[in-house]
Amino acid sequence: MSSIAERIAASGTSNAIELRGVTRYFGALAALTDITMSVRPGERRAVLGSNGAGKTTLLNCITGDFFPTFGTVRFFGEDVTTLPPHERIRRGLRRTYQISLLFSRLSVRDNVYLACRGVSRGRFSFIRTRARDAIMQSVEELIALVHLESVADRLVEELAHGQQRQLEIALALAGAPRFILFDEPAAGLSPAERRDLVAILTALPSHIGYIIIEHDMDVALRVVESVTMMHNGRIFKEGAPHEIQADPEVQELFLGSGHA
Amino acid sequence: MALEQTIETDSLTLPQAQQAGAVSRWVHRNAAILILAVLLLILPAVAGPFILDQIVGWTMILGMIALSLMFLCGYGGMVSLAQMTVAGVSGYMIAVFGPSSLPSISLFWPWWVAAPVAILIAVAFGTVVGALSARTEGIYTIMITLALATAFFYLTLQNWPIFNGFNGFTTIPAPHFLGVNWRAPIPFYYMVLFFAALSYAAVLYISRAPFGLALQGVRDNPRRMEAIGYNVTAHRVAAYAFAALIAAVGGILLVWQNNQISPYSVGVNAVINILVIAVVGGITHPIGAFIGAFIYVILHTFALDALVAVGLDGRRFQLLIGLGFVIIVLFSPDGIVGIWRRLRARARTSGGGNPL
Amino acid sequence: MLPAFDSSNFRRNDGGSSVSTSLSGYGGRPSEGRASEARGDVLGQWIARHPVAALVIAVAVILVLWLVLAPWPPGVEEAIGKKRLFVNALFNGITLGGLYFLVATGFTLIFGLMRNVNLAHGSLYLFGGYMGYEATQWTGSWLFSYVIAFVCCAIVGMAMQFFIFRRMEGQDLRQTLVTLGLSIIFSDLMVWVWGGNAIQIDTPDYLQGPVPTPIIASIRSSGEMVFLRYPLVRLVIFAAAVVIGIGMWLALHRTRVGVMIRAGVDDRDMLSVLGYRVQLLFVLVFAFGAGLAGMAGVVGGTFQSISLGEDSHFLLASLVVVIVGGMGSIPGAALGALIIGLSEQLGIVYFQNYSTVLSFLIMAIVLVVRPQGLLGRR
Ligand SMILES: Nc1ncnc2c1ncn2[C@@H]1O[C@H](COP(=O)(O)OP(=O)(O)O)[C@@H](O)[C@H]1O
Ligand SMILES: [Mg+2]
Repeated sequence: MSSIAERIAASGTSNAIELRGVTRYFGALAALTDITMSVRPGERRAVLGSNGAGKTTLLNCITGDFFPTFGTVRFFGEDVTTLPPHERIRRGLRRTYQISLLFSRLSVRDNVYLACRGVSRGRFSFIRTRARDAIMQSVEELIALVHLESVADRLVEELAHGQQRQLEIALALAGAPRFILFDEPAAGLSPAERRDLVAILTALPSHIGYIIIEHDMDVALRVVESVTMMHNGRIFKEGAPHEIQADPEVQELFLGSGHA
Repeated sequence: MALEQTIETDSLTLPQAQQAGAVSRWVHRNAAILILAVLLLILPAVAGPFILDQIVGWTMILGMIALSLMFLCGYGGMVSLAQMTVAGVSGYMIAVFGPSSLPSISLFWPWWVAAPVAILIAVAFGTVVGALSARTEGIYTIMITLALATAFFYLTLQNWPIFNGFNGFTTIPAPHFLGVNWRAPIPFYYMVLFFAALSYAAVLYISRAPFGLALQGVRDNPRRMEAIGYNVTAHRVAAYAFAALIAAVGGILLVWQNNQISPYSVGVNAVINILVIAVVGGITHPIGAFIGAFIYVILHTFALDALVAVGLDGRRFQLLIGLGFVIIVLFSPDGIVGIWRRLRARARTSGGGNPL
Repeated sequence: MLPAFDSSNFRRNDGGSSVSTSLSGYGGRPSEGRASEARGDVLGQWIARHPVAALVIAVAVILVLWLVLAPWPPGVEEAIGKKRLFVNALFNGITLGGLYFLVATGFTLIFGLMRNVNLAHGSLYLFGGYMGYEATQWTGSWLFSYVIAFVCCAIVGMAMQFFIFRRMEGQDLRQTLVTLGLSIIFSDLMVWVWGGNAIQIDTPDYLQGPVPTPIIASIRSSGEMVFLRYPLVRLVIFAAAVVIGIGMWLALHRTRVGVMIRAGVDDRDMLSVLGYRVQLLFVLVFAFGAGLAGMAGVVGGTFQSISLGEDSHFLLASLVVVIVGGMGSIPGAALGALIIGLSEQLGIVYFQNYSTVLSFLIMAIVLVVRPQGLLGRR
């Protein structure tokens, strides 16, 4: 494990995310094959591809939900390939899930509180948090950011789907994120909720980079500066949004055939 | 629900005028438990030693051990069948380190050394159980903890140098100090009441503290907990350690109360009974552990007579327990507490009154 | 949802909370998801990948073979006692392993297919023992008592699955709690009917008594070799357990129902292909597992005795066996049964005060080193 000083030194010069030869098998199925990509700090990148292309698996390998079968994952220069997820989160990585993974029997406020507590000290504290403690301030701000004030005291299992998606995003913004992975955050949202989402994404401080998986091109191409296309577990094309949109191969494979 | 309680306690520190209002609201919301507390405090004035010791005292001790399971299961989603075993370890250790009728084994240390050492060993044991099963959930935890619990039972049965085999230990006196004989019915009752109330309050308080909330997060979704920065395994093991502390204190009290401990105190039946108690009472609230314990003690004490009175074999007590347990699991998985909650909810909606 | 141990747990998306901190969760090192390479020469590959472990196992096998086959030099006898004692314990351990396999295999099968930890499995064992005893009393036929025990327990198992567990599909924890309640009820009912005394099932005349084996127990001072004599009935039952094990393996790999069961164990989603027939499959498997436990009860009643408390003993044995061997795996049950049987019997001879702890030590070590069990899959 590297010291904090080393980490800071490394982070000054390196990419936020750097994958080298990442490969992941499920049994005999290669969900990812030899993925090599790097994302600069503050860069905003879309990962596109049809269903089953391996996009979610890619995020899982970056966060450590699954370990890659081969290859290395670096986060701000530090090799995190074998670190458990919570260690990567504490280093400033965040993510949302394609299918909401929330704490269904806790209230919205408790959910957000847990996310804030998870990246601060005192996770094991036996002392209750008071309403005027600083952490509650950020909890309330996050709830307000995703417009869930009116249901803050409701249990998550009682929320509508759209509200759960919003909460999913709030959990990923807790603390001081350095890089965020969004897995289809707009899926199942109403047009109004989509606009809110775009607003949240564009309003993020510019030093926070992210990768977003999104089928809705309107959302995706408006909030990113670069695009990675995936197909069958491999990187198929990388480039700026307009290049990708104009690329005939991409057109044929995805945009034309109504996949995206 | 979220931080209601936190906010409430917070307001207790506000200026006098508001404070009065807050206190009265708090009293109103906790009326039932306050009445119970008062009743328990004045009980020795009206009840005899049998009620104090064999009914209420025993209820509170079993309730503490079941409470430790409730904490793990209700908040952490970990059904540990080893909680009675943890209690048994501390019970055996108090007999080994403190006085007993077996000078060849017991060390006759004074209680203020023996009790902490016994608790420490039991907590260490509980933590090891946790470490072995913390990477599992639900049914796997049941399997592993049941296996470990039974292992301890067979160990006590087979091992003579430390556990005195089949016979176990007898004559394990509660201490005398401050000029009080703490085994006399009334002092013992108050000692048990003190520890039971303390554990109950601690569990209730911690359930809204970061540690307890995180534990509920682990219960609901361990994978997401990892993805927001928690070391899930460490959290689970810590929960086992805390639960073991409660069970260990309960174990010592149980030994002092029974004045003996033997392998059957930690046998499969005893281990399962704790689960039955916690589930029947209701695993979703700490009070359930004590409700379950009360029902168990009442059945245990009076079922024999009742069964005989209706013309059945008095020895069919276990049958009764098993049937009651299956019925509760089939029809009200959240136990008596769940039934009570549903009744209250129905009364409220049918009364048409204000929903708050 | 509770986690599962095998790939079935990886749903098509990442939504199921089941994938995470199960036994199979985070422990994996990057190399462990390696694709299944060619199936052939599994052993050779395994040796290539774990040269040290392979060497240790080879040395251990040779050592055990030497201990069993060679007459012991006096030095060895002084150090670890009489050879007769050791070989007897070894045989007892192996045959006890056969019995444990019979009990645990039904347990692990039910668990693998239905995710039901049947804590009443020990009660079924005991019930089978009692029914077998009654059958020998009435008919005088030891072999027939197996049929009776199997059928009676299979009926109880069917009833449990059909009337109770069918209604609680997917609620693993509740199912397990119900089996626990049932075990309390069954155990008390059996005390009611048969009382607390131990019952022994008589060995039939044709299997009575010990037979000589080609293993040298000791060498008299005259140079005459004394061969070990061992109870025939135990050897026969062990052989039967092996036959049943091989039969099950064949049934699971060569018949349509077997293939269905294996597919269901590997991937629970596969079960939906069966539609309504999945219930039939569940009932059949539950009946079969329960029936095996019942037959094991007769074996146990012949080997040792059956009495109050044996239900917890054999429930526990099943738990430990499948935890060590790997939950849901039948070869795992065989390996686990052998290990636990041996450790118990050798433990009794060599570590009196701590013999049962030995099995649990093995279990604890397995849980730490390989949480999914020796032959379990992640
Ligand atoms: N946990 C898993 N177990 C087995 N196969 C998986 C698992 N997760 C994903 N897969 C498979 O990997 C491939 C890529 O899936 P995924 O990454 O979810 O695709 P995407 O997110 O691009 O739709 C798919 O074929 C999928 O079936
Ligand atoms: Mg996906």
